[in-house]
Amino acid sequence: MTSRDRLRRAGVVAAATALSVLAACAEPDDAPGTADAGADASDDTSADATSDAVADAAVPEAPDWDPAAFTPPPPPVPRLNRAQLVNSLHDILGDDVVVPPFVEPDVEEAFFATVGAGLATVSPRGVENLEQISYAVAGQVADPARGDRLPCVPDAVDDAACLATLVDHYGLRLWRRPLAESDRDRFVTVGLDAAAVLDDPLAGVEFAVAGLLMSPDFIFRRELGVDDPETGWRAYTDWEMASRLSFTLWNTSPDEALIEAAAAGELTDPVTLEAHVDRMLEDERAHEGVREMFSQLYRLHELDHLNKDPTLFDHFDPSLGESAREETLRLIESLVFEERADFRDLLTTNRTFVDNRLAAVYGIPSPSRDGFAETFLPPDMGRRGLTGQVSFLALAAHPVSSSATLRGKFVRERLLCEAVPAPPANANTAIPEPSPDAPTLRDRVAVHLENEDCATCHLIMDPIGLGFENFDGIGRWRDTDNGAEIDTTGDLDGAEFVDAWDMADTIRQHPGTGPCVARMTYRYASGVREGRNQFAVVDTLSAFYEATGYDVYALLRAVVLSPAFRYAGPITD
Amino acid sequence: MYLLRHRVSRRRFLRGILGGTAVTVGLPIFGAHLNFNGTALADGSSFPSRFGLFFWGNGVVPQRWIPEGTGTDWIPSDQLEPIAHLRDHFSVVSGLEVKVPNIIPHNSGAGGLLTGMPVVARGGEAYTFAGPSIDQFIAAEIGGDTRFRSIEFGAEPGGGRSYNGPDNRNPPESSPLALFDRLFGEGFREPGDTSEPDPRLALRRSVLDAVVEQANDFRRELGSEDQLRLDQHLQGVRDLEVRVARLQEDPPELAACMSPDQPLDAYPPIEGRPQIREKNRAMCDVIALAMACDQTRVFSNWIVEPVSNNLIGEAEAGHHQLTHDEPGDQPQVNEIVRTLVGEFGYLLETLRSVPEGDGTLLDHCAVLGTSDVSYGRNHSLDEFPIIVAGTANGRLRTGLHVRSEIRDTTNKVMLSLIRSMGILAADFGADDGFTEDGMTEIEV
Repeated sequence: MTSRDRLRRAGVVAAATALSVLAACAEPDDAPGTADAGADASDDTSADATSDAVADAAVPEAPDWDPAAFTPPPPPVPRLNRAQLVNSLHDILGDDVVVPPFVEPDVEEAFFATVGAGLATVSPRGVENLEQISYAVAGQVADPARGDRLPCVPDAVDDAACLATLVDHYGLRLWRRPLAESDRDRFVTVGLDAAAVLDDPLAGVEFAVAGLLMSPDFIFRRELGVDDPETGWRAYTDWEMASRLSFTLWNTSPDEALIEAAAAGELTDPVTLEAHVDRMLEDERAHEGVREMFSQLYRLHELDHLNKDPTLFDHFDPSLGESAREETLRLIESLVFEERADFRDLLTTNRTFVDNRLAAVYGIPSPSRDGFAETFLPPDMGRRGLTGQVSFLALAAHPVSSSATLRGKFVRERLLCEAVPAPPANANTAIPEPSPDAPTLRDRVAVHLENEDCATCHLIMDPIGLGFENFDGIGRWRDTDNGAEIDTTGDLDGAEFVDAWDMADTIRQHPGTGPCVARMTYRYASGVREGRNQFAVVDTLSAFYEATGYDVYALLRAVVLSPAFRYAGPITD
Repeated sequence: MYLLRHRVSRRRFLRGILGGTAVTVGLPIFGAHLNFNGTALADGSSFPSRFGLFFWGNGVVPQRWIPEGTGTDWIPSDQLEPIAHLRDHFSVVSGLEVKVPNIIPHNSGAGGLLTGMPVVARGGEAYTFAGPSIDQFIAAEIGGDTRFRSIEFGAEPGGGRSYNGPDNRNPPESSPLALFDRLFGEGFREPGDTSEPDPRLALRRSVLDAVVEQANDFRRELGSEDQLRLDQHLQGVRDLEVRVARLQEDPPELAACMSPDQPLDAYPPIEGRPQIREKNRAMCDVIALAMACDQTRVFSNWIVEPVSNNLIGEAEAGHHQLTHDEPGDQPQVNEIVRTLVGEFGYLLETLRSVPEGDGTLLDHCAVLGTSDVSYGRNHSLDEFPIIVAGTANGRLRTGLHVRSEIRDTTNKVMLSLIRSMGILAADFGADDGFTEDGMTEIEV
């Protein structure tokens, strides 16, 4: 039996083939092959900005997985990141529960906190903080005023039965799997001791819940898979799949429907899995996952700490960063969910969402008295797409000036997925001050480009960044730099552009742009930096993404349905 | 992989890694040697030795840093002038080098200096430290007796560089009020408070016990790398249990112990310029009294981060940007360094203002003042800026400028500092930086 046959038996191929609502009708045992991968998909999904609602949109045919070409990555055992911890507590214990800040930093690795989560631990400071959070939160759960939300209220300090019910109930949700009897007993005992010592039945609830929260089973995702002889891989269990899907697509713990689905074994069955994934993607909470993914990829979290000199930038105030992030995320949400658009439109659309703060920076009338509103930038204003937004322009810049290098680096790394080497640690990085001979940034960084040591790397960044020089350090338009005319012409890997407006399309057409999104989506969702054994997964997803007309919604769906998401490395002896 | 050659600590870590059972990684292992009253020092002092780190990002301008003259006869340089009045209380060591491959700007230096070992490079600028930073190295030995094993803070919000081990970094507190609340808020008892301990404390300890025991099943399912991650977490849980136990004891009788004034709620930037100095001073006031009350014996102050780009003082551009772009002998960078060194001076003054026995708190401390690079402009690691303040209960010499003419390893100073805490360390560092000798010129 070939590995492919084994996989088909295990439903892997079936799952992949049954990837879409349409394809679900196809025979699950379709002959393997790659030629038809997404072949007729592009017809269905032209980049029509006015396409129908998601539910009516034709979903392209599935990518076909060649199991011989890849091995799923081993389980990363992620640690919850800050947002996931807070979201989970609110969703499980109640939106009104006040959660003290979790100070343990997220670890960023390969651009993503979801990848860093597989390296992150909890420091002694973090443990202290987690204990504080646990009692603060458990105290609210055990507040007599909220008693009607508990599955039961203990009526005596020795009410072991009710404590067992509570430990089972909250344990299942906080640990994302049913508790072993020994674990339940352990925390029931903790609760009974506390109730007796403090002579308060509800103190038992508080200490038992606090114990569940302090356990590594809460803060670490214990997703390890079980040996699956059929595939030769480890398969994530139903409970583990509920957790993986939920954190990836919603950035929080599983909801009640997922818990029921896991209990019913519906998340390891490829056909039922698909229905659950569709429900999750259609749910509002899916916006959270997509926002989180692009916030990490495009560094939008850093906009909270934007550091700019307000004496130089009249339109800067510390909340500008927050507005800028919201602009980018709203456009992304709109493209991914409402329009199901060609996601490359992110680079070239003149549609955007601004509040009055951003409207002032862009020099356009504010479309709304307060809050955000959709607007269309006039085509003659030289600004469009992500690289015309304050988020990109201000992030990839200095506190007092623009930066050709930082902007070029962002484009190379985050939009094209190319590696930019770190500067040699002993590099002399000084550039000359502006002078009458060399007034513009282009003149000044010419030094980098003349020095051979510098040029090797700076030639891949600076010429791109110089194309954005019509935008200052916070993204406001300017015609001159130190009084001199700005030259924004350049080329991106041989494709010439005259200015930033023009370059937006150059980046859109760059062969790296589409595959980059596919690769980053896989990386974000899997929580693992893709290695040699996963290149085939990335290639397949890239081809699929292209064939769908660059539909991120379909891409994300394909990723979480793929065997690369459902299996955890080879069986270990 | 841990490469610690420090005999004592290696055993500690090996227990964690190879012991096969999480429960043997307990702390405090050495607390018993150095408990409060038992610090049997040669000079008869009964005050414990404390360790502090004052760390600023982006280095110095070396030609404006190195003092003229050596021994006791030296003239403070431009950048040391802000602390010249404290010269009897510190020694400057110049000419040393962080002997690690300088592959990741700023962090090769920070990691190499603080751990003695090259950082673990992960491609591009990604990295983690290869082992504990010196503050945690020392805290592991002397931190177990107090309510807090160590305290990390910094005026600029950021990650700091206090590592317990790879990928396990202690997040510094950047809000003076939060630092105050943590040290002097709930749980803190003034000397003389002999009220019955809160019965919840004993319950909290039993919950922590249950958590450690319950984690054993989880631990067994993990591969060795993930076991190490879980062990680090469980180590923190055990630490916490020890610290909760401290709260059940009567507070020590310490004459200088009192609660500091409560800091302001917030220190918002003024005209885009963060209030680094004001925040630093508020936090230094809190940490000095925290040590006077023996709440902790180890602290690290990460006033500004490596690659920090704050607008400081009257500077016309961000700190990091200036270190690279400012031509000549960098007058603006010089002013920023002088500001930061001045804040180091504020810390030393504050420690000196706390009377302890016949001396001051500063006399019972060793405080290392240093940075992540030497010359920020080119990230150099030779001619590294190092100040050692306080005598650590008479174990360190102050008032000196010691100069290495042979680019000795910075690890010599690290080893002297570790030994000044009464820790029997055989050696420190790895590879080119490995040393069995301290910086004997600053040792008593």
